[in-house]
Amino acid sequence: MNQAYWARNPQGPFATLIAVAATYCHPEVYNDAYPELIERARSAAPEDGQIRVFREELREALADPSRLPNDELSKAVQYDDGSNEAFLRRLWRDLYGDQP
Amino acid sequence: MAEIRNGPEEPDRENRPEPTPSDDTGAARELVEPRSRVDYAVDLERRVALLSFEPRRAGLPEVGINDGQAYLDKHHVERPWLSVARDSPPEVQRVFAALDQGGGHAHIRHEGSVTEELNERRVRNLEDPAQLDPAKRVAGIDGLTAGDVPHRCGDIASRIVDPKAFATAFARGVEHPDVRAALESNGPRPEPVILPISRVLGDDGHKFCSGWQLEPVNGSMEEARAIRRAWKAGNQNAPEPRTRPVETFEGGTVTFAFRRSTVGTYEVSSMYVNPADEQPT
Repeated sequence: MNQAYWARNPQGPFATLIAVAATYCHPEVYNDAYPELIERARSAAPEDGQIRVFREELREALADPSRLPNDELSKAVQYDDGSNEAFLRRLWRDLYGDQP
Repeated sequence: MAEIRNGPEEPDRENRPEPTPSDDTGAARELVEPRSRVDYAVDLERRVALLSFEPRRAGLPEVGINDGQAYLDKHHVERPWLSVARDSPPEVQRVFAALDQGGGHAHIRHEGSVTEELNERRVRNLEDPAQLDPAKRVAGIDGLTAGDVPHRCGDIASRIVDPKAFATAFARGVEHPDVRAALESNGPRPEPVILPISRVLGDDGHKFCSGWQLEPVNGSMEEARAIRRAWKAGNQNAPEPRTRPVETFEGGTVTFAFRRSTVGTYEVSSMYVNPADEQPT
């Protein structure tokens, strides 16, 4: 069984945000995958439901990072921004720029 | 005791046949087959997985069972990570040859050709074992990305130290239903799949794993990672990054990450092991 947070808790808090961030932002794949996420987010097709949910959850997490489950985002992504909030801020800026 | 020895069940010593000298003595058998039945069954299962491995099913170019050695012999000088598999059985060499013609880096950064020192330096100082230019490696330049792009590393740098075990983990992993679903998907890049090490290497699979981990700073791994990046950028006001060896991978996991394949839908971008305490809770 897949032991990833989002696989064990598909309805859990911020499961899509953490899954997408782990898929594209983990150091093991970052150099190859992060530009792909930027492209996907900026040109998201209306039927790309996952990226729509991802954006909503990213917005919610930025509004209140304390709602993120324990260390799940940090463990799944292993960013070097210093904190969940710093990572999420950078992510939003890179993907959506000045969009509200 | 004398009664037993002289009883009707005791063969007449004088009439016993003389043992015929043979190499097939107990000592010789022990050297050839030291495995228990359980160990033998595990080994057999691993070998079957390797023999039945089909590169195409893993999104890799097809490589024949006898074609791996020629590829390794031809490319191992300029691609030194192939050297570790040159003395391996053909079914192991095929896995390495197929992986090396794909776009993933599992066999380059997470296998036995990466020494303990290279692994430690990777997690402490962001030096990429795949970077073959020593100056660029020390400078933290990624060895597999075009341009002078900084190399990245998570909390742990790990490897499967034995080429046969590595190839087995890969061959068995790509047949796991969750990994198959990812490999065969045709949408956006699939999420990573995290499986128990025992699922791909058996109950003693953790014994083939080794790694180094970043030490937390003030109890925080986030802070440790940020300080490591700052050090690499020249800001050395914070404490120097420190590492420690992973004590055990028992109960640990193996992660399969994916990328678009040139010959199929998706392939494994990376396969790496983590100790148990790194699993999501």
